[in-house]
Amino acid sequence: MNLVKDWAASVNRIFRTISGSKRVDKVPFLAFAGEQMICRVTGKTVKELYSSPKMYANAIISTFEFLNADSINVPNAYAGPSEALAFAEANNKLDAIKWFDYQPLMCKQGDICKNEEDIDNLEIPDHGKNNLWKNSLTTAKLINEKTKFPQVISLSIWSVVHELRGIEAYKDMRRNPDLLLKLCEKVYESQMDLYENWLEIVGMPPNVFIAGYSFNRHMMSFQDAMRYEGQFIKRMMDKIKVPFMLHNCGTAPYFTEVVKEIDFIAVNGSHPLDIEYWINFKKNHPKIAIIGANIDVSREMLTGTPADVEEKVKENIINLAPGGRYICCPVCSLPWGVSMPNILAIPNAIEKYGHYPINID
Amino acid sequence: MKEKESLEKLKGAILVGDTNKAIELVKESIKMGIQAKEILNGAILKGAEEAGKLYEEDEYFLPDLLMTGDAINAATELLKKSLNKKSEIESKGTILIGTVEGDVHDIGKCLVVSLLQGQGFNVVDLGSDVPPQVFLEKAKEINPILIGLSGLMTMSISKMVETVQLLKSENITSRIIIGGGILSRESCEMVGADDYAKDGWEGVKKINNLLLNSGGE
Repeated sequence: MNLVKDWAASVNRIFRTISGSKRVDKVPFLAFAGEQMICRVTGKTVKELYSSPKMYANAIISTFEFLNADSINVPNAYAGPSEALAFAEANNKLDAIKWFDYQPLMCKQGDICKNEEDIDNLEIPDHGKNNLWKNSLTTAKLINEKTKFPQVISLSIWSVVHELRGIEAYKDMRRNPDLLLKLCEKVYESQMDLYENWLEIVGMPPNVFIAGYSFNRHMMSFQDAMRYEGQFIKRMMDKIKVPFMLHNCGTAPYFTEVVKEIDFIAVNGSHPLDIEYWINFKKNHPKIAIIGANIDVSREMLTGTPADVEEKVKENIINLAPGGRYICCPVCSLPWGVSMPNILAIPNAIEKYGHYPINID
Repeated sequence: MKEKESLEKLKGAILVGDTNKAIELVKESIKMGIQAKEILNGAILKGAEEAGKLYEEDEYFLPDLLMTGDAINAATELLKKSLNKKSEIESKGTILIGTVEGDVHDIGKCLVVSLLQGQGFNVVDLGSDVPPQVFLEKAKEINPILIGLSGLMTMSISKMVETVQLLKSENITSRIIIGGGILSRESCEMVGADDYAKDGWEGVKKINNLLLNSGGE
């Protein structure tokens, strides 16, 4: 397949922005394009995509090029449903997995670790032998080779615990914290196995992207977030000597608290939507890149017009791009209901307003 | 005096989510001859209210509310069974709830179910990944005062639209609330729901407000 995009320019744009370099031509566009978007652009089902690394890699490249994004990644290769599938397979519990034609597979939360015995006997998956992971890692390698865009590995503890143990995990915090820590430990072990396989198949990642769903007030206290996820991230950092970024999909995130405890180079959160939060964050943490801010897939992107999206991108750029370290992206994964003109309004608005030096009236 | 002390202890057990203690204290209160309504309103619901207040003050978190929810449910179930006088604890109405098709996330929904049951609602939980047609069929069967559609993922919004459209096209007049962290006022209007909530506790409060404003059943 022929590339239509100058990926070398995108690589520079994204990684220079994250590192705070001044040599950036314009604000980068990172697209959260999941399987749903790739299916929408290519017409393939999820199972078709997952079955062939070559087809999957080409489909991903086509989609991200179509969206005119500066980023590219294998959407299922993170510590979410794919990791639950790996655990389900290693523990003969594939009934816990539900497949869909045009959206990512899901795990029935709590079905894999229903009780203490399930946790005690939980087998750690071998990612090198799991078909979905083998194909996903090979896909990441092919994307690396074709676009020269170094693939970022995504790891997590809580999002996996959440899949395996479901609502019981939250009750365990109060009634059996040792059992919960045992499960976290096993998930950590599995994440390190994933990292080893990533190194072997894809190569050294430039960054680690933590899908840290625990860092949210609606889920747990900050102390619990540090206990059940934070301490494991610190251990990952000790072993993986590359800069870490934090994603948090929550309505009341602990970003300001967590960056005091853990050294992240960038944060990416879906909320709060108020731009003032991010203006203050940038002021207080000028060396941490902000990915996203407040372009909302459930507001202007879903119900607005391309002009509304353009206005929102402009607002984000005016407030967060001067001085660098800002990557523009919608706050969460792009769903079916968002129109293509609204999605494409983001790179168009960046082209209009996002060239450095930022100079908007 | 002893009765008051027993109810205070029960309230405390509910507040800290100690299910075993709550069961023990409900038994003790019944033995003392305290009326079921008094046990429910004077201890169980007071404990729940206090837990909610602590949650709003950042003293309590989801794990604490879930533990409280479990204790409430165990206590009210025992109360109903032991007295065999269900009329004494009247149902506040039936609520139909479920996570929409294509989404299996259910933690917020489970919290809402647990707390609403504890508040005296009859809650029919359809589980997760529920197709619009199933919501419709059940709504026709049980005629709920309110229908709650839950979903965590951005892609669940379009399924909420589909479900609400189907319910309305079949003249289901129940109030509708949608729940999920990704929702906004704009997406709520798009879905056509009466209200939305971003987390489980907010959902419980808004459901009570919606029903209060519509005069209940």
